[in-house]
Amino acid sequence: MKLPFRGYNAILYKEFLVVLRDPLTLFFMFVPPLIQLIAFGFALDTDVKNLSMVVLDEDRTVESRQMVDRFVNTGTFKVKGEVHSPEELARAIREGKAYVGLDIPPGFTRDLHAGHTARIQVVIDGSNSTIASSALNTSLGITFRQSVLQLLNATSGQDIPVEVRPQILYNPAMRSPNFFVPGVIGLVLQIATVFATAMSLVRERERGTLEQLLVSPLSRWGLMLGKLTPYLIISVLMAVGLFVAMRWIFHVPIAGSVGALMVAVVFYVFALLSLGLLISTRAQNQMQALQMSMLFILPSVFFSGFIFPRETMPWIFYAIGACLPATYFIELMRAIILRGASLAEFWQNIVILAGMGVALFALCALQFKRRIS
Amino acid sequence: MPAETMIECENLTKRFGHFTAVDHVSLKVAKGSIFGFLGPNGSGKSTVIRMLCGILEPTEGSARIGGFDSTRQTDEIKNLIGYMSQKFSLYDELTVHENLRFYGRLYGLRGSALAKRRDELVGLTHIEPYMNRRAALLSGGWRQRLAMACALMHHPTVLFLDEPTAGIDPVARRELWDLLFEFSSSGMTLFVTTHYMDEAERCTHVGYIHMSRLVVCGQPDELKTLPVVNPPGTKRLEVTCEHTTQALQTMRHLAGVRTATIFGQSMHLLVDAPLPDQRIVDELKRAGVSHVEIHPMGPSLEDVFVALTTQKNGGDK
Repeated sequence: MKLPFRGYNAILYKEFLVVLRDPLTLFFMFVPPLIQLIAFGFALDTDVKNLSMVVLDEDRTVESRQMVDRFVNTGTFKVKGEVHSPEELARAIREGKAYVGLDIPPGFTRDLHAGHTARIQVVIDGSNSTIASSALNTSLGITFRQSVLQLLNATSGQDIPVEVRPQILYNPAMRSPNFFVPGVIGLVLQIATVFATAMSLVRERERGTLEQLLVSPLSRWGLMLGKLTPYLIISVLMAVGLFVAMRWIFHVPIAGSVGALMVAVVFYVFALLSLGLLISTRAQNQMQALQMSMLFILPSVFFSGFIFPRETMPWIFYAIGACLPATYFIELMRAIILRGASLAEFWQNIVILAGMGVALFALCALQFKRRIS
Repeated sequence: MPAETMIECENLTKRFGHFTAVDHVSLKVAKGSIFGFLGPNGSGKSTVIRMLCGILEPTEGSARIGGFDSTRQTDEIKNLIGYMSQKFSLYDELTVHENLRFYGRLYGLRGSALAKRRDELVGLTHIEPYMNRRAALLSGGWRQRLAMACALMHHPTVLFLDEPTAGIDPVARRELWDLLFEFSSSGMTLFVTTHYMDEAERCTHVGYIHMSRLVVCGQPDELKTLPVVNPPGTKRLEVTCEHTTQALQTMRHLAGVRTATIFGQSMHLLVDAPLPDQRIVDELKRAGVSHVEIHPMGPSLEDVFVALTTQKNGGDK
C-alpha cells in the first residue's frame, strides 16, 4: 500500500497553521509586493512631457515667437527660461537645467520671407536616449509640418497631399502605467512566491524538523504539494490585491475578463512556487536559497519583455526570455488587461505555463531525497 | 534467553569526503533493552542513529531494524521506528495539541484513533496543562516531553532518542528515565545517546564510541569486570577527606598510586594492591589533610571508558 500523496493532509494542516501564525511571513508576502508595485508603477513612466527647454531668440520677431509657441503647444516642451548667448544655452544643458535648447538665429524671419531656408537650431541632451529621441522626433515633426504648410501656401493654396489620421487602440492616451503595471504585477508576484517556497523547506532543514519528517512515512509528493497549496492560495489573494491597486491606484482599465486573469495567475503562481520548492531542495541554508532565487528573478527583469521588447534582443537573450514563466505571463496580462483578449486566443501561453509548472513540480519532488546528505 | 534482535548493524561506515564519521561499527540490540550509546561530541553518535533510521545512506556496511534493511526497506522501517532528534524538532508556531495532531496525521492516524492515542500520551507525559501553549513557549523539559510524545504517536516498537536529556533539569531527567523503563518493560526497544555516565549506568546495555569507532559494547556489569579496567595487582579505593584538591596533588606524587580523580567530596584512586591504606592516610596527614576515610570500591562505567580510551590511544601511538 503506497499512496503517492501520503501525508499531504498532515503537511497541509501544519503548513497553514505555520503560515497563518507567523505574522512576518504574511507581512512579507503581502506588503512588499504592494509597495514594489506602487514604486515601480510610478517610477516606470516613459511618457515624455514638459521637457524643460531654454530659448535663445536672437531674431525677436512675431514669427520667431510663433515658432517657440509651436514647440510649447506640443506639450513635449516647457519653456524654462530665456538665454542670451549660445554659450549660456550650452551651459544650461550641461548643468542639467534644460534638456533642450532652441536657438533661433537673427535673420530667421528675413530668410523665411525671402524664400531662403530659414534655419533654427535645436540642441538636445542625448544622455537619456528615450528623452532625446522623443525631443528630436517632436522637433522634426514641428518644423517639417511648418515647411510643408509654407510651401503649399506659396504655390497654390492646395490642401496637404497626405495626412495621417492615427488611431491608437487599447491605450489611446498612450499612458505608460497601462503598459508597465501589468508587467510589474508579473514581476512582483514572482519575487514574493519564489522566495516564500524557497525558504520554507530550507527553514525546516535549519530547524531540524526536516529530519523528523524524513523518518516518517510521508511521501515526497505529499510533502511538496502540502507545502505548495497554502502558498498558492495566499498568492492568488495577493494577486487580487495587486489587481485592485492596478485598477484603482493606477487607473488601468481591465478590458478582458477577470476570470481569465485569475486562471492565468493560478498557472503562473503554480510554476513559480514549484520553482521555489526546487530551489529549497538544493539550498542548504536561507542565504543560499536567497541567492539562488535572485539568479532566477533577475533575468526576468531584463529578458521577459517587461521593459524592453524581446523582438529586438540578441538571440541568446531572446532564448533566455523564452525559458522564463514571467515572459508568458506578462504577455498574457497585457493581452487580457489592455486588449481584452480571451484565454482561447492565448492558449499557447497557458499551455506553456502549465507545462512549466508540472515539469518544475515533478522535478522538485524527484530531486528531493528522502535522505539527508 | 537470547531475545529477538531488534537493531543490528555490521561494519556500518560513513565517510564525508576524507573524513570518516563512523568507522566500521557493528552492534546488536535485543528487543526490550535500553541501549545507551555514549561518546564525546562529534564522535559519530548521531550519524549512527541516522543510518539506522534509514535517513542517511552508509558508505559501507548494513543495518537492520526488526529484520528490515535500513537502506532498502525504508518504508517498512518508518512505521516501526520513532525518532527524537537532538533538537527536539517541534513546530514552534504550533501548540502542544497541534504538534501532537500533526505527527499523528503524518502517520495516518485520524479521528477517534488519533484522539485516543493523544490522550494516552498526554496522560503519560502529564503535559495536559500546556495543551494550548505554543511549543516555542515551553521550557526545555516540556519541549522534550512533547517531542517524545510526538515520536510515540504511531506506537513505534523501536525508539531512538538522540541526547534526550541534554540541557534539561534533573527532575525532568529522572522522570524521562522512569518513562523509558516503563516503555522497555512493555517490550519497546530503546536506543539512547547520552553524555551522562549516571544515565549510562541505568541502561541494560551500553556502547562507547570514540573517534568514530565503537570501543566497547556490552552490559555495564560485564564491562566493569574487563581485565583492562581492573589491571592485575591493583585495587580501587574511594578516599573521603578535606581539601580534596590538595589531597589530589599529594596522591598523584605517591608511589603506587596509578590514577587519582576527584569526585565531588571524594577521590577515586587506582592503586597497586600491596599499598596499605595507612600509608595513604599518613601521606595525606603530612600534607595537612585530615579526616581521611578509605573504602574499597568497584569501577564505574566512567572508569571503564577511561581505561578503554587510554588503552586505545596508547595502542595507536
